[in-house]
Amino acid sequence: MSRLFKLIQNEQAKIYIRKSTWIMYIILFAIIIAGAFLTDKFSDLNEDYQGDDWREVLQEENKDLQKEMEKDEYAASINPETIAKNNYYLENDIQPAPYGTWNFVTENAVLMMLVSLLTIIVAGGIIANEFRWGSIKLLLIRPISRSGILLSKYLATLLFGLYTTIFLFITSWIVGAIFFGVGDMNPEIVKQTANGFTSVSLLQETFTQYGYQLVPLIMMTTLAFMISAVFRNSSLAIGISIFLMMGGNTFIGFLAEKEWAKYILFANLDLSQFADGRTPMVNGLTLEFSITMLAIYYVVFLAMSWIIFTKRDVAGQ
Amino acid sequence: MTVAAMELVNLKKSIGNKDIIKGLSFSINRGEVFGFIGPNGAGKTTTIRMMVGLINISEGDVLIQGHSIKKDFKQAVREVGAIVENPEMYPFMTGWQNLKHYARMMPGVTEERMLKVVKLMGMEKAIKEKVGKYSLGMRQRLGIAQALLHKPSILILDEPTNGLDPAGIREMRAHIRHLAREENVAVIVSSHLLSEIEQMCDRIGVIKNGEMVTLQQVGAQDNDNLVHQLTVTPITKAKQFIQEEFALQVVEQDGILSFHCKKEQMPAVIKSLVENNCSIYEANVVNGTLEDQFFELIGENTIE
Ligand SMILES: Nc1ncnc2c1ncn2[C@@H]1O[C@H](COP(=O)(O)OP(=O)(O)O)[C@@H](O)[C@H]1O
Ligand SMILES: [Mg+2]
Repeated sequence: MSRLFKLIQNEQAKIYIRKSTWIMYIILFAIIIAGAFLTDKFSDLNEDYQGDDWREVLQEENKDLQKEMEKDEYAASINPETIAKNNYYLENDIQPAPYGTWNFVTENAVLMMLVSLLTIIVAGGIIANEFRWGSIKLLLIRPISRSGILLSKYLATLLFGLYTTIFLFITSWIVGAIFFGVGDMNPEIVKQTANGFTSVSLLQETFTQYGYQLVPLIMMTTLAFMISAVFRNSSLAIGISIFLMMGGNTFIGFLAEKEWAKYILFANLDLSQFADGRTPMVNGLTLEFSITMLAIYYVVFLAMSWIIFTKRDVAGQ
Repeated sequence: MTVAAMELVNLKKSIGNKDIIKGLSFSINRGEVFGFIGPNGAGKTTTIRMMVGLINISEGDVLIQGHSIKKDFKQAVREVGAIVENPEMYPFMTGWQNLKHYARMMPGVTEERMLKVVKLMGMEKAIKEKVGKYSLGMRQRLGIAQALLHKPSILILDEPTNGLDPAGIREMRAHIRHLAREENVAVIVSSHLLSEIEQMCDRIGVIKNGEMVTLQQVGAQDNDNLVHQLTVTPITKAKQFIQEEFALQVVEQDGILSFHCKKEQMPAVIKSLVENNCSIYEANVVNGTLEDQFFELIGENTIE
């Protein structure tokens, strides 16, 4: 056990000692700052509703929206939703909460895409790089089984994903707190579901959003790890995984009508499609089915990595 | 009977339908430096890869201190320290960080041991620098340091003199001899150049096309059949003279004359050359049998 711990320590040292890793973090940090800046400048931060007259403000706004709809076709299509939301506040006597750092953290869940990308880069290199450097030969002649080496590398990759997620989360919170203030301890937000609007805990919403994003992160990372182990080529592993991650949803869009579309990995990656009474992308998908498919893909990816890595000759490049 | 540090038992490797190693059997004892010589492509690296379990063994086995590398990998490999092909350490880490990395992978490697190994390889100054900045010689030394960390009973060095300048080669030889004594390890040194490693070896095995063609003790010379080498000018005249006067077969290569003759014959040869106004700069005796066999087997002395 302590041996595995030391192996993971080695792998992490190799990840974090390299400049490219720090550049990835700096880029992520810069994007968070830029996001906060843009949100601060251009978004509606609910500031108008913070006075005692918030009810009047909401009613006034609804009237304006109504008027706009009569003149403008585009406004006619999007304004009803805002009006309905405002009415929900009024009917339930909920004062819209000010935009605080938790809102910012929640919105930054989209940056998990970037975290996935960075983790894929690490996963794609973690085995292939050892082959490229030639250091694999020194790594595999230790009194440790190849399975042990493989496991340590996989766990180190997942930990990198976890640390980077935590980095995104905490940095977003701090940057958000600086730009927008800490806000309430447990604010509520109003969100739309299939059954109309409801008020939910923002904290819960935050963790749910990040949780959904962890699924594609883990799956795509494991795919990149497998390609890295099988083909021993990091560009290939990173290229294919990122291409599929970016293009996956588009494929599904094209193939949604096909009988077998639901068996494709990308149709099952977004578990939020089953939440709030939404309709899944592809016919015949259920939460149980998706989880089963994900588990099958996951096991296949890991099994392939393991079989190839432990059995194949380490000779020549 | 003591167990050999390493024993190869009819070791074979085929890739596809090509037989690369065709049944090697020999053993190496503790404290011995074994030279593993053969031209490029003979199968030295392939054999070494099997010795350390990097590639599967097609047939036969490698026993390290009695443990089979096939069936008992962890026990067997614990006894081995190796560099396979190039000393590929992580260039973005310092020498010390590299050693630390490998120390974490093996039980019982203390900081004290790491310091000792650094000292043994004479790297105290360079150890805090990034490996990316090291010369090839330095990287070779760090490679050996890495291989020694866990006090192996056998040290395998694949072409450790490759790419080094003459001074580097001399240094490497001194290090390896010193190690064999100091650490009491068996050392396997491979090379495609007999001349580069002959001096430091106790025994030499020559491999060609995946087969061991000769295995012999260094220094076991055939006194009647020594190869003498002369650096002499004018060379053509001297060559002609020796051939005619002494009826010897003389080969001229790189400005050096080589020929077989008995030890007792040499003073007369040199004396008459001098009397005939030839200037002799250097006279050498080389281990005739080995050099010859290598020459005969491989076709020439150095094959790139
Ligand atoms: N993976 C491989 N596939 C096919 N042939 C190989 C492979 N590895 C080595 N060989 C062949 O095996 C022979 C021995 O190679 P090698 O062990 O590297 O020789 P050496 O180290 O003595 O120079 C060469 O002819 C080489 O072409
Ligand atoms: Mg070789």
